[in-house]
Amino acid sequence: MGIFVYMQNETTKIAVLVAISTLVFLLMPVFLILYIRSYNRHKKNHFLEKQNMRQRFESEILQTRIEVQDQTMQSIATELHDNVGQLLSLTTLTLNSVNLNDAAKAKKKIENSLSLVNKSIKELRELAKLLHGEQLVENGIGHAIDQEINWLGKAGTYELQTNNKLLESEIVSPDKDLIILRLLQEIINNIIKHAHATHIEIDSYLENNALYLKVSENGIGFNTEEVKAKKSGMGLNSIYKRIEMINGKLALNSEPGKGTSIAIEIPYP
Amino acid sequence: MVWKDRYIFWKIVTCYIAIALCTELFAIYLASHHQHNLWLFNIFLIFESSTILYGLYYCLQEYTNPKPIFFIGSGTVCLTYFYFLVTQPFSESNTLTISVMSIVFTLYCLYYYYLLLKDENFINIKIHPQFWWVTGVLFYYFGSTMSNIFDGMFTIKIIGIATLRYCIYVLLNLILYSLWVYSFICRMKQRKLQS
Repeated sequence: MGIFVYMQNETTKIAVLVAISTLVFLLMPVFLILYIRSYNRHKKNHFLEKQNMRQRFESEILQTRIEVQDQTMQSIATELHDNVGQLLSLTTLTLNSVNLNDAAKAKKKIENSLSLVNKSIKELRELAKLLHGEQLVENGIGHAIDQEINWLGKAGTYELQTNNKLLESEIVSPDKDLIILRLLQEIINNIIKHAHATHIEIDSYLENNALYLKVSENGIGFNTEEVKAKKSGMGLNSIYKRIEMINGKLALNSEPGKGTSIAIEIPYP
Repeated sequence: MVWKDRYIFWKIVTCYIAIALCTELFAIYLASHHQHNLWLFNIFLIFESSTILYGLYYCLQEYTNPKPIFFIGSGTVCLTYFYFLVTQPFSESNTLTISVMSIVFTLYCLYYYYLLLKDENFINIKIHPQFWWVTGVLFYYFGSTMSNIFDGMFTIKIIGIATLRYCIYVLLNLILYSLWVYSFICRMKQRKLQS
């Protein structure tokens, strides 16, 4: 009788143990699901954030492309107005003044007009190259930078010292190239508009999977802290924003009266 | 509706549920005639283990190549079953195979969760049919672990003639089939979205 009661007690203990542990074993998957749910939500947020960033980057690329196009068009318009337009006006004037009765003078004037027209054709070819330059990014950033330097050199206003080692490089990164070209355009624009420089140095090269672009000039310079604090003018903000977007670094050195130098380092490709 | 599904997995699961239902009905019939029905459950065990193994294989396939681990898992279950066939009469309860099977299935379910968390893409858990199918399996096999281990050691009756083991299994079956029904609903929604 005693043994029977003891066994029944043991059975009850095991039954209670099994019931409790089964409940615990059922609760564990519940917590597991809750954990997965919360983790999944974080993953979803992260994914959406990444998607958002990618969209922002793409829209910025689009914006940059439009700006590069604008810049090219502006350059072409200036060239047409200041150069080709003047040459053709001069040709018209010369041709208008031709007196057919004076054969010797007329011949000289026609020859002069012909040389002016030839010069205009040459200038137009140069312009066509510039227009093509916009697509040059596709051939590599080196060519695009070279085109930009050529255009700057043609004006003859600046004494240029360039060292573009990117021409030899075969590595390309289309999106970054476009942004880098726009950065250079922005910097050159700033020099033209504000710096009053006479000498410009441009260096570009690749080293340890990074692209370096250094531009320095001997212009009037400015107080960097003041400009940074103002957060306006000279397109510095857009330069910083774009550099940040492609994980690059920018070092800006300038002092009033001592010129400005900008060094950019961008992970590449 | 299920028969129109292009994935064979959902058809197999439906067939399995039908087999499970027939087995239960036949087992009740045998019990009512005071005949042993354990041999029936031992036959059903073959369908059960192969279907769940296939289902888990199908779910894991989405994230990895599960062939190597499935060879090991199904090999272990088969060996245990053969060991039972050799050592014990067929009319006995095959607790060993059920216990081994439960452990193997639980590990696969946890591995599925691990891969799900590791995967870069996120899924919408609320409407993901495979997730709820695996969850049902995990609840059932993980929850039955203690009952399997202490099988035969607690023949205590709690509600009238129903033993504790019986009550636990009713609860587990309820959870399993509810989750599977939900997974079928999710699958139906998914198909509607895809069509």
